Amino acid sequence: MNLRVLGVATLLVLALALGASRDSKAQSTGTTTPAKPVASKSAKTASPAIPPSPQPITVGPVTDIDPRKAFGSKTAPVILEVFSDFQCPACKNLYLATNRQLMDNYVNTGKVYLIHRDFPLQMHAHSRVAALYARAAAQIGRGEAVEQALFENQERWEASGDVDGIVATAISAADMKKVRDLVKSGTLEPFIEKDLALGHMHNVNQTPTTEFYAHGQTYPYAGQVNYEFLKQFLDQLLAQK
Amino acid sequence: MMQSSPWNLRRLVIWAGRLVLGGTFLYAGVAKIFLPNTHLWPWFVLKFSVATNLSNFHTEVEAYKLLSRTAASFVANTLPFAEVVLGLLVLVGWRLRLFASLLTLIMTGFFIVVTRAYLLHMNIVCGCFGVPEPLTGWTVLRDALLTALAWWMTICAFIEARQPHPWSASAPAPEKASA
Repeated sequence: MNLRVLGVATLLVLALALGASRDSKAQSTGTTTPAKPVASKSAKTASPAIPPSPQPITVGPVTDIDPRKAFGSKTAPVILEVFSDFQCPACKNLYLATNRQLMDNYVNTGKVYLIHRDFPLQMHAHSRVAALYARAAAQIGRGEAVEQALFENQERWEASGDVDGIVATAISAADMKKVRDLVKSGTLEPFIEKDLALGHMHNVNQTPTTEFYAHGQTYPYAGQVNYEFLKQFLDQLLAQK
Repeated sequence: MMQSSPWNLRRLVIWAGRLVLGGTFLYAGVAKIFLPNTHLWPWFVLKFSVATNLSNFHTEVEAYKLLSRTAASFVANTLPFAEVVLGLLVLVGWRLRLFASLLTLIMTGFFIVVTRAYLLHMNIVCGCFGVPEPLTGWTVLRDALLTALAWWMTICAFIEARQPHPWSASAPAPEKASA
């Protein structure tokens, strides 16, 4: 384990050093080129640099949005802010039964802007770890695959605590290495804490809790939402002027 | 002067049972329908609130892993309203033996289900009052006490029904005051 960490660290240092040297050469000639990743001769190829965390954005009345955890058009008339916990059965139902149709029929058509907030409950022993893995996956662009794997296999990792194993089945080995590095780095904890703080500010005490923002009104709803009822509600909200 | 109904323990139990159990059932039913989402206006928002609350209750019923999805859906959509009606009827005291018996049966069912979940160490919420209340030993104790009161009230109601009413002709005549 220690040798593997040492090897990864060495490769990262080499990549950074090479990038820095190419950058200094470009500056002296008046041009800048992005650093290319170092190609390793070994079977385990060096991973490209992990994209840095984007700046939080504000959409309508909602602030501090992580763009990697938000979907849809920022000009959508209705904003949904969902506080959820990966170990919560109702959140699983919401994701598997409602979210997909919501994405297809409302988010991707520009009617709804969907924001996901992590709200791991204390009563769920492994939900925080699951949130970290999901956030790490989102940072490398594999958030959706990992979320789906976590919710579909919720009973398995809930019983065993093996979040890592479940996530590894959803993404490639190279991506899994990046995810593990991100989780271990501890840089994702502040994002979880920020979402938790926002949830407490909104008096969230159960998951899922969905805040609907439309036409200057806010409607917080605690608990899972059946898609047929959600559809009627959204249609009514969208029809309002 | 007519003699008023004499106070006794049986009547006290019936009154206490009607108030406590009728009130509890009424509150439990209303809470399941209107909590935790209590948006009452406009009408479409109210409809969505009630639908979401009943959907939550459905999830809580399913978590006990006793009923099929269809049966859980039936229970989730009917039990809250049944609790409201039963609570009101017991509070009012109309046909008390019938509705107290029904309430006692339901309460006993709740107690069995909750105790089973507790003994199986199921990490679920009670689903009793519309808010996510964890199922603990206190939940079992509370249900046990309410169930005991329900049985006691019902038995007292049946015994009381067999007693002649103090105003009826078969009741012993009150003692006349001495001149």
